Amino acid sequence: MTAQMDRVAYDSGESIPYVDSRIYTDHGIFEEELDNIWKKVWIATVHESELPAPLDFRTLTVAREPIILLRGSDSKVRAFLNVCPHRGNLIIRQPAGSLTVAEPSGNANRMTCMFHAWQFDCFGRCVDIPRAKAGYQDRLKKEDVALTELPCEVAHGGFVWITLSADAAPLSEYIGQAFDIMKEELDTEPLAVFHYHKAIISSNYKLWHDTNSEFYHDYMHYFNRATSMLQKGYFDRQYTAFPNGHCTVGSMEVKYDAYQGAADRVLSFPGMPRNGWKMVDLFPGATYNIRGSSLRVDTMTPLGPDKVMIEFRGLGLKRDTPDEQAQRIRDHNTIWGPFGRNLHEDLLGITGQGVTMRPGSTPRRILHGRRENNTIHDEIGMRHFYTEWARRMGRSPSNPLYRAQIAAE
Amino acid sequence: MNIMAQAELKSVERAIADVIYRACLLLDEQKFMEWLDLCAPEFSYRITTYSPEIRRQMTWYEQDVPGLKGMIEMLPKHNTDHGQLTRHVTVYTVDVARSQTEATAISSFACYRTMLDGINSHMDSGETQLFLIGRYHDRFSIGEQGPRFLHRNVVLDTRRLDKGSHYPI
Repeated sequence: MTAQMDRVAYDSGESIPYVDSRIYTDHGIFEEELDNIWKKVWIATVHESELPAPLDFRTLTVAREPIILLRGSDSKVRAFLNVCPHRGNLIIRQPAGSLTVAEPSGNANRMTCMFHAWQFDCFGRCVDIPRAKAGYQDRLKKEDVALTELPCEVAHGGFVWITLSADAAPLSEYIGQAFDIMKEELDTEPLAVFHYHKAIISSNYKLWHDTNSEFYHDYMHYFNRATSMLQKGYFDRQYTAFPNGHCTVGSMEVKYDAYQGAADRVLSFPGMPRNGWKMVDLFPGATYNIRGSSLRVDTMTPLGPDKVMIEFRGLGLKRDTPDEQAQRIRDHNTIWGPFGRNLHEDLLGITGQGVTMRPGSTPRRILHGRRENNTIHDEIGMRHFYTEWARRMGRSPSNPLYRAQIAAE
Repeated sequence: MNIMAQAELKSVERAIADVIYRACLLLDEQKFMEWLDLCAPEFSYRITTYSPEIRRQMTWYEQDVPGLKGMIEMLPKHNTDHGQLTRHVTVYTVDVARSQTEATAISSFACYRTMLDGINSHMDSGETQLFLIGRYHDRFSIGEQGPRFLHRNVVLDTRRLDKGSHYPI
């Protein structure tokens, strides 16, 4: 047992910690990740402003499970599996909308499976099975079936969090103190989404979270070198690690006008210094990133060992005037829009990693060994993530096939 | 409208279409400063799209002429996908104001990317992929030197851009 634990705890503080690239390429490990991580933890999904009115819905997928998020007639947001209990068809097919609009095969205010017109109310209860008595006699009634409801909470800046695990600990326990650094900015007043786009990249999801968890890659971004790395305070930014694999990065004052054509930010968030910059990285695949006037939230949907969908949201304050919102959007787009300076570079980075780390490619060591007293170019963020990954997977990231080897022996 | 007036209107419409096509060739060849020469000093440029996911109209890029020039000048300092973007455009409508000093036009476009170094250049360079589709909504001023772009709104249908781009569309 001691030997096994030694091999799981790859970040021993000695020499150069590394991960084996098979954690990014192996199909078996990916399937285990879905079961041991993605189906067990709380996942940040959409923002509540995407469901502003009763009976508004959004659909998404977590660990291959299709899900409906629905604001009920009581204004509470609930999560259901988007699967008809009859023959397993997808019930809601649109990405977003309102149940107040009737579907061709169903009534308004209900979720209707178009296949055989089984209807469900906003609480997931089955309210109509066509010709139920004729087909099922008394063997099955509408009261016997319902949509599967999932644990769901709205928290941390108004995001809708769900888990596929019915017996998961509460969200507050999973997050712990990780949002303390950003609590005032997120929870003083309501936020609203102004930007959404997504990317599907041929690379492993953890490589994107790695990018969000280390700042050494600022060498890739001229914008960040000019406005941050060359400015006072950059190398003082501190990482703080929290239980369950989360970590945060402390603020600095960014000098936006050091980049030609960019301007210092006029707007901010409650409690956020103007031109400040804070981050919260959440295990296993979400990041909150506030830079000056805009909050960017990345959420990921792993699609395979070598494919990930990343969704990008930009948010400001709900009370923003149209002019204020337009300013936040301009600031956001400068670096983070699909035509922005930084995001394109970041995505090229993990695309390149995806080329060198394809399923079946030669295993190699990926170094996680920078130690700089937990400051900005320290790779503590990645090491902390993989320590949690090891705990949940029972595998060492630097020797991930260890269990299989033991079995073979 | 008499025959002379009709001929004059057709001539203006042809000139509008011509400047749209010239702009595409210049953008394809990455002659961005020459593209801006086709624009009035007060030209503004936007890339927009509607998201059915968040049910909002979104602006993904917005610049005036100084902003575009700055963006262009800074391109060499940035890592980027060097694939060639090629625009295929059809001008659908040209509407010239009665005064013949302003016009609007709507064009449909498809933008292809012929890959170079975006993924794995050994295998992918030379392959052409559809990058995005949409419409140009253009507004022009018409002076003695012909039509000049006053405003371009690139209205995208494509919303999943994956790696994205550093270039105007």
